[in-house]
Amino acid sequence: MANFRRFRPDDLNKLSKCNLDPLTETYELGFYLQYHAKWPSLFQVAEDQHGNIIGYIMGKLESSPDVYQFSEHYLPWHAHITAVTVAPEARRLGIGKLLSEQLEAAADENDAWFVDLFVRSTNHRAIAFYKSMGYSVFRVVKDYYGDHSSDPTQSSEDAFDMRKPTKRDVKREHIRDDGEKYEVDPTDVW
Amino acid sequence: MSYSRYEPPALKNSVDVQLQTAFNDGNWNTAVRLAEKRFKALKDPYYEVIKISAESQLDGTAEKCAVLVAIDKLVKGKTVPDFDTLSLYEWASDGLLHHSDYAQTLGTLRARWVKANPKNPNAVQCLQSCLEYWDLVNAQQIAATMDRAFPNSSDRKYMFWSITLTFLLSISPQCVEATRKLYSQLALKQLERAADITESSPKVEPTDRGLLTEQEFDLYYRVLLTHGTKDEFLRRMQSPRLGALAQLKEGRKNLFWETLGVLEGWGEWDRIFELCREALNLGIQGSTPTFFACDWQVWKKFAVAASKAKNDEAALSEVQGVLDKFVSIKDKATEMYKKNISLTLLETTFRLPTSTLSPNPDHKGSTPRVTQLILFLVNYFDKLSAFDDVKDYVAQLTFEEAKFFMENALPKMLGEEPERVKQVILKALQCKLQYLLTTCPQTLSNHPSVVDGVDQDKPYRCRFCSELASLPCEHCLKKIIVEASETYMEISADSELVGLIPRLDKDPRLDLALVMVNSLLKLGGLRQRGSDVAPSPLRDVDSSLFLQAVLLLDTQLKATPADMGLRLLLVQLYLLLGCVSYAHQIWAPMDVKRTIQDALGPLFFDRISSISPGLFLGGKPLMEPLRHHYSHSLHDACPLRIWDAFSSGSYSSILEMSDYDSKLRRSCTLMMTLVEERQATKCFGGKTELEIDDLPLAENIVDETTLVNKTDYGSFTNLESCHGPPIQDFVRLGPELSNERAHLGFLTEQYLDLLSFKAPKDYKPARPNEVALKERSYLTERLAHLNNSLTNFIHQAETPSRLTGAELTYYTIVSLLSGGLLTGLTTTRTDAVPQTLPLLTAAIRSAFAGLRTVFLTSSNGVSTPPTANIFASLTDMHTMALLRATALAIKHSAAFMLSVHEKELARDRSGKTALHKDILVEMKALDQLAGKALGEIKTHVQKLKTALGEGGWLDRVLEWTFGDEGGEDEVAKAVGEVVGGRGGAEEWAGKLLESWREGVKGWGTVRLE
Ligand SMILES: CC(C)(COP(=O)(O)OP(=O)(O)OC[C@H]1O[C@@H](n2cnc3c(N)ncnc32)[C@H](O)[C@@H]1OP(=O)(O)O)[C@@H](O)C(=O)NCCC(=O)NCCS
Repeated sequence: MANFRRFRPDDLNKLSKCNLDPLTETYELGFYLQYHAKWPSLFQVAEDQHGNIIGYIMGKLESSPDVYQFSEHYLPWHAHITAVTVAPEARRLGIGKLLSEQLEAAADENDAWFVDLFVRSTNHRAIAFYKSMGYSVFRVVKDYYGDHSSDPTQSSEDAFDMRKPTKRDVKREHIRDDGEKYEVDPTDVW
Repeated sequence: MSYSRYEPPALKNSVDVQLQTAFNDGNWNTAVRLAEKRFKALKDPYYEVIKISAESQLDGTAEKCAVLVAIDKLVKGKTVPDFDTLSLYEWASDGLLHHSDYAQTLGTLRARWVKANPKNPNAVQCLQSCLEYWDLVNAQQIAATMDRAFPNSSDRKYMFWSITLTFLLSISPQCVEATRKLYSQLALKQLERAADITESSPKVEPTDRGLLTEQEFDLYYRVLLTHGTKDEFLRRMQSPRLGALAQLKEGRKNLFWETLGVLEGWGEWDRIFELCREALNLGIQGSTPTFFACDWQVWKKFAVAASKAKNDEAALSEVQGVLDKFVSIKDKATEMYKKNISLTLLETTFRLPTSTLSPNPDHKGSTPRVTQLILFLVNYFDKLSAFDDVKDYVAQLTFEEAKFFMENALPKMLGEEPERVKQVILKALQCKLQYLLTTCPQTLSNHPSVVDGVDQDKPYRCRFCSELASLPCEHCLKKIIVEASETYMEISADSELVGLIPRLDKDPRLDLALVMVNSLLKLGGLRQRGSDVAPSPLRDVDSSLFLQAVLLLDTQLKATPADMGLRLLLVQLYLLLGCVSYAHQIWAPMDVKRTIQDALGPLFFDRISSISPGLFLGGKPLMEPLRHHYSHSLHDACPLRIWDAFSSGSYSSILEMSDYDSKLRRSCTLMMTLVEERQATKCFGGKTELEIDDLPLAENIVDETTLVNKTDYGSFTNLESCHGPPIQDFVRLGPELSNERAHLGFLTEQYLDLLSFKAPKDYKPARPNEVALKERSYLTERLAHLNNSLTNFIHQAETPSRLTGAELTYYTIVSLLSGGLLTGLTTTRTDAVPQTLPLLTAAIRSAFAGLRTVFLTSSNGVSTPPTANIFASLTDMHTMALLRATALAIKHSAAFMLSVHEKELARDRSGKTALHKDILVEMKALDQLAGKALGEIKTHVQKLKTALGEGGWLDRVLEWTFGDEGGEDEVAKAVGEVVGGRGGAEEWAGKLLESWREGVKGWGTVRLE
């Protein structure tokens, strides 16, 4: 029931199964197209037999801007998962994992040091998902999200910056065992 | 680009600080003055350029336009302009120069500059500028020049930019026909040469002009498929370097994927068979990751191709052979691939010729197909997608198989299921499948239309229950409702079970409720809508069953608010009911915003102004987010983010993005947004600032433009089989968005704009006679065009099936009116009245009378105290809205004609240029008819308001829903149990009423003149 292939813009008309789910953010058109334009092989989808998109991953390869080179928060060349989502009906079939593995392979191919992502600290399902694939918390970004996904009385929510090292990081220099203890401000990340 | 189009480019360093500051701070007057002074003193023409650019920011028209004159002079001058001049002029002319003029002006200059400076790094910026204005002609020239300047650069982009742009130009309307062939061949030949190099060299280096990256390969094949031959494509596919299999081995799947689609389009099934087999075998051999090609499409196409082979049995056993290899290593696979493999087992069984399926003589329905279905379900019945996975197969079963499946195999499976919670999941699935089968014609046999001399109203006999039936079988539907309700109640009564539900993927009661709702809708007589059937979707529908369905769904929504399929369906049902404000409350939490609005917006907004214009009266402009999406995404002439794709060398992305952009500009949803908003604005006497065809978003839409409908129905829970229309076709107010309807809406708005055009009050032309003549000839020209276009669209064969009955009348009358007006304006007092005119007015009269009758049929039912007849009115505001729109179009046409007549009389007292008396008489008569109908609408709205203000409404709604207290039938009882009886339904009835009241209140403020 599922096919994996590269994203194409027409898929944006078939996103409802994924994007009507409250945990999946819908972006402006330019945001999706930017990824398709710059990193087409890091934007992959899974579709069902009717052409509905039932999962996708959007990623990029980058390093921090050069001006931050000497900052302690400088990020070397790495892959970043901007969004990954699987439609409720297609969860727990390994689709999310397959999509992430593709991105990790691309990160290896492009000689990146690690793959990273941000996730809401209360999105336990997603955290479990990433941990199962070998990601760990590298640092906590305080009040990264301007709203709270489950508690309307709160006006913000922390993010976990999670990482998985790639083949290049032989010495495991880019991950931490106790990342939960490292707190940073949103202004320290980009 | 180093500067944004909206910020001025930096001035040359040589410019003094004072002028720099004035310019950067936007002190334009000072900048003009200083630049002028410097120019006089230094004689450097650059200062004149600064002056002209600064002037463009001033208010005076002459100052503003100096830059256009300067650009024109440069173009004609044939000299090569200075790069900084170009940057300044481009910035200065932004907003003054229409983007379609760019190619003839700045684009030409940019290309001229690059030809003179091909190796200058600024050439890239010139290319980028041309692309921003989507000037493909000059962009292609620039790219070709740069490619020639750096023929073997390790930056491969120059070569591929040139090819990509040559190709884009060859398929663009910007290309003049005489050169189209040349560009097509140029792009193709360059790529073929590149393909040959790759084919013949052991290794392609970045400085070679061969194909290297996946994007380059993709570009080659796209161009080949557009401009090359099928033979060439098939030949390349065999290539050990360039073929799809070769690319798969490199880890590149895209070509393989696209090739399957192409071959299918050509009907090349034998090739598909081979390609799939080889691709799958690559995984077994270890040439690719094992499951790399194990997509469902690949398996499915493999099986379909086998079934089409000359020796299909042999081919299918080959499929089995490959499949067996994968089955043996299935345990290593991810769940999803396992599932694909299981589905393929099912698919291949269903592909076998039925003659080879030797049935069990004791059980005719016990075939390998049923066995495979059960084997699949044993593994997957408790997954969310189980029903969707099997439904197409179940719908293919013969009746005997279906009977065995439903009456033996599934109950046996259920009997063997030890876990209580899984039992109920299976039961819910069983209900869904039972419903599915009621939509399959093989479950019915024909029944003679006359028996013993008596006409039979039911044309079939149901083979399941042996009762007489229509499609679907009512008896079975009732049984499904009752059984689903029993299971529902069984679950709710079992606290242990209820406690386990949160751990499941889905509450089985949700499925049961959906089955009940679908059955109720069908039982109530809801059918697919077109203009050939009853005007209002609910007119022939049993309101009681319909209301039960809505109530049930509404109740279920409270229990499972996160289910979007349920929510979407409920929104549609409330729209049908005319409870629009309530529908909006249910719609809003889905948070349809930004990009997905184009595909999902129509599910709420289509025809909304015709059901409840009052909804537009709230604080926030209702459709602003949609409009914003388009104006934001289509602001520039070029596709959004296209330069990113150029600079990253993503050639296939470039082609896809430009195609997507072209479709977005032609979106039916976009047109719906413009038209709905205008209609609503006019309802309340608001002013539309621009004529619709002057809106930037509608600028390039002409009759020949094909507008595309991209509505996404993917999230509807569709229990219907492939033998009939999907659920969305039942629950929509009328036919979905279409090219025809979008054009008719657009043209009608243009016609209405023309009628309401008034010259500004202070406009006093010097030669009024000349102006009047010009105006009249402009009017006749516009009218002739509109009449021609409207008539064309109305008469297209497909059009009636694209509209509701009321819309068809409306657009027909508008097209007739435009013809009538044209005749009126071109027939002066002394001419003979054309014979077509009486025919035309008679046609308007009769069409209008038809629409009015439909309206009166339902509006006559409104009485005080209200009876159930009011239901027909409340659920058919659409007819009233279109009657109103038609009446107003008539009135405005008549008024317009009269005003032209009076103006002419005032201008030429001899009356020679005045309009013909007889025509004016005809128009006045039509005007009266329209006025009468508007009066009836006014009275009707008032009557509705009074009726809704009466007491006793809650009981009334409950009575409509359930029938008399105590007298409920088995269906109403079954529904009543689930929703907690009449008591549980009171709050809901209140909401319904409130929303109706709100809708009617909105109608009360709508203008009727
Ligand atoms: C997070 C998400 C992408 C996971 O996708 P998925 O396709 O269901 O995940 P997979 O099937 O590939 O799961 C791989 C592994 O992750 C873990 N995992 C996934 N979902 C889990 C859950 N709900 N609870 C616990 N572990 C989970 C499991 O270890 C699983 O392996 P298993 O099924 O063999 O036990 C999906 O749940 C989702 O789209 N959520 C909403 C959007 C979202 O939160 N995105 C992340 C934003 S940063």
